[in-house]
Amino acid sequence: MANIQLDDLDRQLIDLLARDARVSNRKIATELGVTEGTVRGRIKRLQQDKLITFTAITGLQMASKSRLAFIWVQADVERTREVARLIADMDPVNAVMITMGSFNIMAMCLFDELDDLVEVASDRILAVPGVHHVETSIAVKTVKYNARVAKITESSPLDSDGD
Amino acid sequence: MKTDFTFDETDRLIVAELRKNGRATNQQIAERLGLTATTVSSRIRRMEDANQLRVVAVSDFAAHGYDVLMQLAIEVDSRPASEVAHELAQFPEVFAVHIVTGRYDIDALVVLHDFEDLSHFMLDRLGSIRGIRKIAPSIAVDIMRYQFDVAPIEARA
Repeated sequence: MANIQLDDLDRQLIDLLARDARVSNRKIATELGVTEGTVRGRIKRLQQDKLITFTAITGLQMASKSRLAFIWVQADVERTREVARLIADMDPVNAVMITMGSFNIMAMCLFDELDDLVEVASDRILAVPGVHHVETSIAVKTVKYNARVAKITESSPLDSDGD
Repeated sequence: MKTDFTFDETDRLIVAELRKNGRATNQQIAERLGLTATTVSSRIRRMEDANQLRVVAVSDFAAHGYDVLMQLAIEVDSRPASEVAHELAQFPEVFAVHIVTGRYDIDALVVLHDFEDLSHFMLDRLGSIRGIRKIAPSIAVDIMRYQFDVAPIEARA
């Protein structure tokens, strides 16, 4: 893991923007007692270092797919990365982790109809060469979920800040 | 918490722009969609007020110094799973808790600064909850994809 040095100003910025990313640089500058240029520069650096990204999170009501499922996969250990990459490229899949435990890959996906989940888990993932076993579990109730902190990967939205 | 809020095509287009760049100005979005900045601003406010939209900075686990991520599958015994889930949700290290179908009852995402935090989490946190029969941990060694822009939205304080 890269050695990341964030100071108090970075942290304050992240906190502020995590609540509402649409506040203007000017307002942030006033609130934190720094110049607009500093705010702009800091945001740009945090984005370039892939420490923050800006996005819109919508409620479940707006989502066409609103059920979450975990798909646990046992695959040949020597093919773990290759299999995980293939699963990550499947469209309905939202998250893929390589894990150490009873399963070596965990995928999460959002779905609407049970048929869609079965298609991803039992037809597509199970058919990937090197995959031996798949187990799914469906989240029936979410008690806690923090969407503000995540893993920023290549496929995360990248901002091209116009100004 | 379902309300009767409905989205139309214009709302969806605005959200799509915000997903691409959450910090685009109302004016920039308006120009791209052929709307006025006032419309864009009032549409965004309406969705936010209905708790159906948040435009936010998402920060990487690493920005907070979290180097250890793991998924815990938990089997509950002699207690309602939702009680155990709510107790788990109180811990700051626990970022997500779901009640799930399948072999286990609860799935939780736990995030730690390093492995030294593990004994505290295991003994003092999990050890304080009654009814945990079995924990199957999966330690994340690499994350290939992580994309969630749909989530339960809490009302603003």
